[in-house]
Amino acid sequence: MKRKLRPTTRKSFVTYAIVTAAFIFVEILVSSGSASNMFKGLLVPFCVYSIAAVSLNLTVGILGELSLGQAGFMCIGAYSSAIFSCAVKDTITSPWVRFPIAMLLGGLVAAVFGILIGIPVLRLRGDYLAIVTLAFGEIIKNVLAALFIGSDSKGLHFSLTSQGDLGLEPDGKMIINGALGISGTPKDSTFEIGFVVLMLTLIVLYNFINSRTGRAVMSIRDNRIAAESIGLNITKYKLITFGLTAFLGGVAGSLFSHNLAVLQASKFDYNLSILILVFVVLGGIGSIRGSVIAAVVLTYLPEVLRSINNYRMLIYSIVLIVMMIFTSNATIRGFFAANLAKLKGIVSKDKTAVKEGN
Amino acid sequence: MALLEVKKLGISFGGLRAVDEFSISIEKGELYGLIGPNGAGKTTIFNLLTGVYKPTDGTITLDGVNLTGKSTIEINKAGIARTFQNIRLFSNLSVIDNVKAGLSNNYRYSAATGIFRLPKYFKVEKEMNEKAMELLKVFDLDKEAELPASGLPYGKQRKLEIARALATEPKLLLLDEPAAGMNPNETAELMNTIRQVRDDFDMTVLLIEHDMSLVSGICERLSVLNFGQLLRQGKTAEVLSDPEVITAYLGE
Ligand SMILES: Nc1ncnc2c1ncn2[C@@H]1O[C@H](COP(=O)(O)OP(=O)(O)OP(=O)(O)O)[C@@H](O)[C@H]1O
Ligand SMILES: [Mg+2]
Repeated sequence: MKRKLRPTTRKSFVTYAIVTAAFIFVEILVSSGSASNMFKGLLVPFCVYSIAAVSLNLTVGILGELSLGQAGFMCIGAYSSAIFSCAVKDTITSPWVRFPIAMLLGGLVAAVFGILIGIPVLRLRGDYLAIVTLAFGEIIKNVLAALFIGSDSKGLHFSLTSQGDLGLEPDGKMIINGALGISGTPKDSTFEIGFVVLMLTLIVLYNFINSRTGRAVMSIRDNRIAAESIGLNITKYKLITFGLTAFLGGVAGSLFSHNLAVLQASKFDYNLSILILVFVVLGGIGSIRGSVIAAVVLTYLPEVLRSINNYRMLIYSIVLIVMMIFTSNATIRGFFAANLAKLKGIVSKDKTAVKEGN
Repeated sequence: MALLEVKKLGISFGGLRAVDEFSISIEKGELYGLIGPNGAGKTTIFNLLTGVYKPTDGTITLDGVNLTGKSTIEINKAGIARTFQNIRLFSNLSVIDNVKAGLSNNYRYSAATGIFRLPKYFKVEKEMNEKAMELLKVFDLDKEAELPASGLPYGKQRKLEIARALATEPKLLLLDEPAAGMNPNETAELMNTIRQVRDDFDMTVLLIEHDMSLVSGICERLSVLNFGQLLRQGKTAEVLSDPEVITAYLGE
């Protein structure tokens, strides 16, 4: 390589390489028959949670605003894409056409909600976003759990009370059945598609962060008053960022809903929002790569530990604490960075240490 | 017509009249000093000029455009940029990215262009990098371009703030105690840099400073503030030899 890569570019390339390597490794495991069914069942969720976590990290780590409603955006994406796929599955039979449109739609609908929430809230200073997104997530979940949609020759029917209320013709079919959710969504999600979408998400995020817009967003995070003094339009940049987080959250939800035989709104509760926030915090706030690693490790761990049920929560908690120490304690991070640099020096004689965490 | 025309500017915080009837007129290309004892209201005037505080009285006009009551963002776009007494860098960004943040409004491409890395992204980023390096060179910061801003020594952080402000291509540059925390050598060097900025960028500078060697060394005219009120205004040498000014600084 003739030109030296900028540290930010190098960081993104390392992440792409790690994710691709992990993907290839898993593909080999699966095709050689050494992967358990439990593990295979986790492959799409790995991608879903990674996408949800990195996109939340954009708002939490890069913009510096707390959002407690990532599950709400996933829920909107999951539902809107599933409704779309159910409605068109007889007309558009190829999943290669149907699924990308469904994901795009899921993302766009979620982004619209994100921007509608953001317009009033992101103008305010303080932690209002946390409060409003928390309420938003719960409201979305409860409204969708009470929603009935059916279709027949007269078109779509809606109700918020009961299935009978829809007045469907005898040959009409249910799309959303209240708290029972959506069944019959085509199972279009695969690990391969999940990997591609995750890679695209990572590329979008890294490109965004390393662009004029991302720089402006991080400037606002670091010092709002100084950002205003150089003429940066605070509200605009916050809205773009939050909208992108909602969009990608919606895409994650779409991937999720096309992986399940039955989709229920109750899955997208407050606990899921917090879980994703935990991935972000433990992976290191602002570290895209960390979010992916934390999402995968912390999705995998509880499942592996099922066999030793008695010690499960104990081990899970220890891992949480260790990760927290790794990622949030500057002294320890510095210690490992220094030793890693030494190791690298021995291996490649490259003395320049890469500094992670911005 | 003067570049900056301020008439009878005033603001109160509760019962405290922090600035009262402050008027000033600065010509294009001037190096103008604003001095006064601690708590006199100097920084408050900068905050009024840049829209951080809204004045209760008076008007601010820059190059014939009325800026009274405008937001900080609008005022920067109209041509006033500043530095801060308590340094406010984007501490997690690299040195060059701090300057490039300042270039944001003059070197534009959309968020989508950045995300999809369209050709315009590479073109504009290249121009930004060149412009940013050019500015960093003026302040002798080009070798530290890739360091995090928070890793710079104090004096260099102050210089980086000036570079970032200049990146917005202002007509008027406000410097709040640019030499604070610098040793005499650094201060002497800074004086040269400020002069160079004025000459090379055709800049008009209004600066607050306690270091009298800097003030008397580079400012052509001065305003002296005391308890929020103008004490004296005029040519530097005359103002500094005024007995009233001397007592305001030494007496009390
Ligand atoms: N936001 C505010 N609320 C209340 N009082 C304020 C505020 N900002 C400034 N003041 C008061 O206004 C007066 C002038 O403050 P200012 O910071 O302008 O002084 P200064 O001349 O810059 O002093 P120094 O040389 O110490 O920087 C002080 O008494 C200060 O306490
Ligand atoms: Mg001050």
